[in-house]
Amino acid sequence: MTAVQYLRAENLAQALAQAAAAAGERMKFLAGGTDLCVQIAEGALDPTLLIDISAAEELRRIEHGAEGLRIGAALPIADLLEAARAAAAGKRTESAGIPRCLLQGAAAIGSPQIRQLGTIGGNVCNASPCGDTLAPLIVLAAGFTLSSARGSRVVPAEEFFLGPKATVLEPGEILESILIPASHLSGRSAFRMIGKRNGQAISQVNVAVWVKLEQSGGTVSGGGSAAGGAPGAAEGTPAAGNSIEDIRIAAGSVAPIPLRLGRAEERLRGSVPDEAALQAAAKAVQEEIRPISDVRTSRAYRRGVAASLFMDVMAEVLEREGG
Amino acid sequence: MLLEFELNGRQTRVEAEPTQRTLDLLRDVLGLTGTKEGCGRGECGACTILLDGKPVNSCLLYAAKLQGRRVTTIEGLAAADSAADSASGRGAEGNPPALHPLQEAFLSEGAVQCGFCTPGMILSAKSLLDQNPDPDVREIEEALSGNLCRCTGYGKIVKAVQKAAAAAQAAAAQTAELGPGRRAASEKSGNGAAVRSTKAKSAGNAKSDRRQRGASR
Amino acid sequence: MSAENFRVIGRGVARVDGVELVTGRAKFAGDLRFPGMLYAAARRAGIPAGKIRGIDGSAALALPGVRAVLTAGDIPGPNIIGILPPFDQPLLAAGEVRYEGESLALVVAESREAAKRAAAAIRVDIDSWEPILDVDEALADGCRKIHPDGNITFSKRLVKGDVEKGFSEAEVVVENTYYTSFQEHAYLEPETVVAVPGGDGRVTVYASCQSPFHIRGHIAANLDLPASRVKVIQAYTGGSFGGKDDVAAEIGCLAAVAALRVQAAVMIVHDRGESIFGSNLRHAARIHYRTGSRKDGTILAREARIYLDGGAYASESPFVTMKALIHAGGPYHVPNVRVECTAVYTNKTYCGAFRGFGVPQVTFASESQIDELAAELNMDPLELRRKNALRAGEANATGQVFDRSVGLVQTIDRVAERRDQLPPAAAEGSSANGGRWLYGRGCACLLQGISNGAEGIDVAGASVQASQDGSVLVGVGLTDMGQGSRTVFAQIAAEVLGVTMDRVTVRQVDTDSVHDSGPTVASRSTTVGGMAVYKAAREVRSSLVKMASLMLKCDEERVLLQDNFAVLAPRADNPEARIPLQEVATAAYWTGFPLMNLAFSRAPDARFDHETHQGKIYIAYNFGTHLMDVRIDRLTGAVEVLRHLAAHDLGKAINPLGVEGQVEGGALMGFGMAHLERIEHEGGCIQNANFADYAVPSIKDRLPTETIIVEDPNPTGPYGAKGVGEPPVAGTAAAFANAVAAATGIRFTRLPIRREDLLAALQGRDRGPAEETG
Repeated sequence: MTAVQYLRAENLAQALAQAAAAAGERMKFLAGGTDLCVQIAEGALDPTLLIDISAAEELRRIEHGAEGLRIGAALPIADLLEAARAAAAGKRTESAGIPRCLLQGAAAIGSPQIRQLGTIGGNVCNASPCGDTLAPLIVLAAGFTLSSARGSRVVPAEEFFLGPKATVLEPGEILESILIPASHLSGRSAFRMIGKRNGQAISQVNVAVWVKLEQSGGTVSGGGSAAGGAPGAAEGTPAAGNSIEDIRIAAGSVAPIPLRLGRAEERLRGSVPDEAALQAAAKAVQEEIRPISDVRTSRAYRRGVAASLFMDVMAEVLEREGG
Repeated sequence: MLLEFELNGRQTRVEAEPTQRTLDLLRDVLGLTGTKEGCGRGECGACTILLDGKPVNSCLLYAAKLQGRRVTTIEGLAAADSAADSASGRGAEGNPPALHPLQEAFLSEGAVQCGFCTPGMILSAKSLLDQNPDPDVREIEEALSGNLCRCTGYGKIVKAVQKAAAAAQAAAAQTAELGPGRRAASEKSGNGAAVRSTKAKSAGNAKSDRRQRGASR
Repeated sequence: MSAENFRVIGRGVARVDGVELVTGRAKFAGDLRFPGMLYAAARRAGIPAGKIRGIDGSAALALPGVRAVLTAGDIPGPNIIGILPPFDQPLLAAGEVRYEGESLALVVAESREAAKRAAAAIRVDIDSWEPILDVDEALADGCRKIHPDGNITFSKRLVKGDVEKGFSEAEVVVENTYYTSFQEHAYLEPETVVAVPGGDGRVTVYASCQSPFHIRGHIAANLDLPASRVKVIQAYTGGSFGGKDDVAAEIGCLAAVAALRVQAAVMIVHDRGESIFGSNLRHAARIHYRTGSRKDGTILAREARIYLDGGAYASESPFVTMKALIHAGGPYHVPNVRVECTAVYTNKTYCGAFRGFGVPQVTFASESQIDELAAELNMDPLELRRKNALRAGEANATGQVFDRSVGLVQTIDRVAERRDQLPPAAAEGSSANGGRWLYGRGCACLLQGISNGAEGIDVAGASVQASQDGSVLVGVGLTDMGQGSRTVFAQIAAEVLGVTMDRVTVRQVDTDSVHDSGPTVASRSTTVGGMAVYKAAREVRSSLVKMASLMLKCDEERVLLQDNFAVLAPRADNPEARIPLQEVATAAYWTGFPLMNLAFSRAPDARFDHETHQGKIYIAYNFGTHLMDVRIDRLTGAVEVLRHLAAHDLGKAINPLGVEGQVEGGALMGFGMAHLERIEHEGGCIQNANFADYAVPSIKDRLPTETIIVEDPNPTGPYGAKGVGEPPVAGTAAAFANAVAAATGIRFTRLPIRREDLLAALQGRDRGPAEETG
């Protein structure tokens, strides 16, 4: 390794100040390092300065407020999953309501070891098209707060990614937090991925969906696990025949960036999701994605399996049989 | 930089480059070669150590991040777990008395062949049992999903973890009878219902149930 | 000694080297530290073919921490490795590049990072050539010659009877072409050696390896030293599966050259990438096969034409060719068999030994044929196999007749019996669960020759030494790389000498200490190595028994050694008497009876016609039957193995726990070969030389393998044992392919059958032809 300087930031302000002071350096913010370490070791990245933000406590919070759920970017994946588990056991109300698709995506990342160090912000900023939290954050209409010494701005998740490993982040700018708006904490969401094998698999394709079903009278407040919706959320067990008030679909590993599938969404928005409508939407998913063949799998497989994963996530959010 | 951290129960001070891999710090500087390098990319788990009791790939862990933390390597396994000194039965066939129940179970169940994956595998299993003393097969698989093994086919590894869990439960029941103060304090994490597997297949539980039913030895 | 009285033979015992492994105390080669130790790393070609114009190490030499940069000219000896003629592989290439992993130079530096950085800084000037990438291209007229004698590495034939006559009498013939892909060993420990120059003119090399004597021979040759000045010690080895058979010799030589040059210990550790692209793989195969039978299922003729893509160098291709040849006919009594097998050079990573060694490839083809034949005949696949199965007294494909230890039918029976005990799988091809899952069952029978067979002399050396305290030290020339041979050797010594396992130590393999025992391959360690231990132990036993008979005042025949005692069994005229073995050993020493023996075990030589491969080739065969139930998700191609029965006739299970471990591990490797693992080449360069994109099975991919042990004793093995290390690979892969065919109704002729292959085939079939598959 080339001699790389290492600074540890105790808080966000210090990190931004250190970044601003290092304008001439090839600088990278370091959180868990699970992607960064590999890229540096392989020579794909050659920073001269690493600013370690993993000690900045304010970047690791999960806060539930009126605007929605705000997750600190440097929150390790395992901590996100643990917070949801604790919420399910009734122990931590501020962690309640972490949407299911995000938890499913987070749980699909790497391995227990990777999830222990790796952070949600790291998964986002690494911007690999197969990142498993990316499609979920897009369908949850997440907003990314980007901060630098110059100030802050908010970028919608689906506008954040420019290409493989490329984002809108400016030099010295850090992903500070991720906000899932209150509007998207209600509703139901799901995520599926498939890889070459069952364990520790990189996504060949992943699909996430968020739906808001029209309410008809007398539905029982479902919820099941706390991961499915915030306590007191108005979403209940879908009654047959409810139409889809709103839907967002996204897929990863099917394009240079995680892709929002707006045309497929149009097939279902406002309609009753019967089998025919779902099949048509699945076909639309296949047509809208732009997969390539690479070392992980073929274009044909991505197209074929994307439809299947889409049907599976829809089956989950609609609580239908099989899929 | 000067690093100060707890290593296998002992306060340790060592000078290191902040971006030195913890794997190299352990093996080359501190003489602890039980942690292995299998791929250097966080893809095989042979380098697994416990950081504050949780498994991480030491090939991806910069030494700076050890500051003030608690590290456990395979060499510190027995010492790390005070319950290992308790009344759990000692191994038969002449095993020395300092083995952790997981180490004994790996031996008795034939879960060790070449042994290269074994330190990492055992530490991942230890972390699981510390948090979840009674895991089902699916939870064992999930906890060890980051540790590759090319020799055993994994079946006996799963059995070894189950055996160690049962032995620890039995020991805990014994010490519970003996009095307070030695109870395993780990909080049971429930049946993991909150987070489902994200595999495309829909029958993860059925599969693990089948394995439990089918397990004959 | 009767079976009922065995103390440790047949018991599932824990590994004798297990404690040091579970505690992390065991020293693998990469854990060794020597004062002043340096590290070496190779500069590799990075392109698959070309003419080397120049190698300039000056920039590398100038980097901090670099001690030396070695090229071909720095090798004192012939700069050649290779298991067999044509001995065509250089340690450091000077003329041509034949594959991307070709080593051109070696940097010696103060750290691994410095060595790698410097290796990257070496300037190489190569005129790159269009690489030759497949067998057909390599064999075409006018194709560039990768080696001076052309692009055929080795080609041989097996001819039994008259296949043309056989086919002419056949009423049903099936014919197909099958393909298997390159597979990577993926042992968790990358290749590692440390060479240490001694002050006495000797060099000691610690190696992660399976063939220490090969390494010694190569080092001696390439250093131009007498072999007696070279010592190779096998460190704890983190898996090998054939992969460290010749690669360890390559880096052992390089490290030794470097060590003597810089007069310091030198370590070479491969990173995972070079472990994959810079060391041998399993041969990819193309097998054209036809099988003819009568309508009643009697197989009359089998003919196979096999091409093996062996990559850039010969490595073990000649032996793999022969083994593929010999096993292609399957475990059946077929009167007419003709097999031709040709290994071919291409500009890709070279191929060599990999658990199974040609047998998995041909078994997949052969067993697919049997199922295709069963379908044509409308016969149950297992019954068709039973009908044609080899039995004792029948000639196999090489015309060899075994009158004992042919337990194939037993394995078929045991599988059928167990299958009938289990709840039935869903009907094949059925669509339960709303059509999502397809269920299928497949079976396979196989044989795998035990011992070196046609590959040459099969000898092993062992030493057994009893100390005055009655404890026993065993040394063997065969290596434990995880398969548990050390434990088996300890069991044999313990049983023969009547000591408990805790009184036996099996030392590290050290080429100074025992007779050259060849490579630890071909599932031979229990059989041939075990026999050597048995012989040595019997000699030592003889001394102890003589002494004990004097002390007990009885005839030698009445002395039993067991549980650390010499025992005189009770009879009408005397009660039982026993003396601790410790006392017997001490007395034996002071009386002058020898307490150490060095034994040499030689397996019966193979004797066969080299043109037809007819004759006696192996000392024994392991026979097996596998059965697998799968279900396939028609929407994603994901496969779940619901059941896997693996029955093997292994003669005698000396350590049943170890046997299960071998079967379970080998099975998962076969499953990887059949379903998950494929080396991806592009332009001759491997694209997935890492554990993220080369899908070695994780714990979540494991099989529910149930091992069924069948024991049909082998007269040439200790306690009747035969090996079992390799056979499960072939059985699992073949059974998987047949199960998938049953589930989908589609015969996949190419391994691996991955999720994407299943989805494409299922969707293609459901949709009808002419759908875009690009």
